[in-house]
Amino acid sequence: MSTKRFYIIGFGALMLFDTLTQVSFKLATTHAGEFTPTTTWLWEVFFNPWIYGAVIGYIGSFITWMTLLKHAPVGPAFAASHLEVVTVLAISVLYFGEHLSAMQVLGALLIVGGIICLSKSEAEHEPPPQETA
Amino acid sequence: MSSLAIFFWLLNITLDTAGHLAFKSAAIAEHETEWHRWKVMLSSLPLWIGIVCFCLEFVVWLALLSLVPLSLGMLVGSINVVVVMVAGKMLFGERLDKMRVAGMWLITIGVALAGGFAS
Repeated sequence: MSTKRFYIIGFGALMLFDTLTQVSFKLATTHAGEFTPTTTWLWEVFFNPWIYGAVIGYIGSFITWMTLLKHAPVGPAFAASHLEVVTVLAISVLYFGEHLSAMQVLGALLIVGGIICLSKSEAEHEPPPQETA
Repeated sequence: MSSLAIFFWLLNITLDTAGHLAFKSAAIAEHETEWHRWKVMLSSLPLWIGIVCFCLEFVVWLALLSLVPLSLGMLVGSINVVVVMVAGKMLFGERLDKMRVAGMWLITIGVALAGGFAS
């Protein structure tokens, strides 16, 4: 697999798992209602099926992340993993009907811009294709 | 921010950075096959140091949020991107060219704005 393909699939999967975790947490707690420091509330959260979505998301992220780190430098990879912020903001607007401030929209655009810069750096330094003997 | 909040913030940065560096060093363990790599990794000390760091970080993050609003926490927490990038260069000799530095700052500012200015 080429490095480019490895990164696109890897970061794509990471983004999906991270987003699944956040959305599942939101759905699990929405179902439980406003937080109260009672066992009933915790019970509602832990026995809500959505909490298992969050667990699957965490396990998936861990496996994907440890696979990515085999080749990816940790600094830029950690920075790029913040693409999750953009997808979670998008879902919060489209699905949960939340409103974003202009600053949040600008922030999301800057994150996307930053990831484009990181991928340009990778493209510039990509090793030349191996000659086959 | 109170000095206690600053303490939790700095502790959060330290644990986050240590966790990521530990995971990276676990991920590059010697291996013959992917299956063997996972076996070596799951029994390696760095991986478990990383897991402990992230668990502690979770508690420290909650402690910080008990003192400051989430938006301020997100705002000051965005600096982790810069610290992990610099630590990666120092410990693993990762390249830090202009494009990576530009990307790093754009993402840091982006996370600060997206998290720090919720409507």
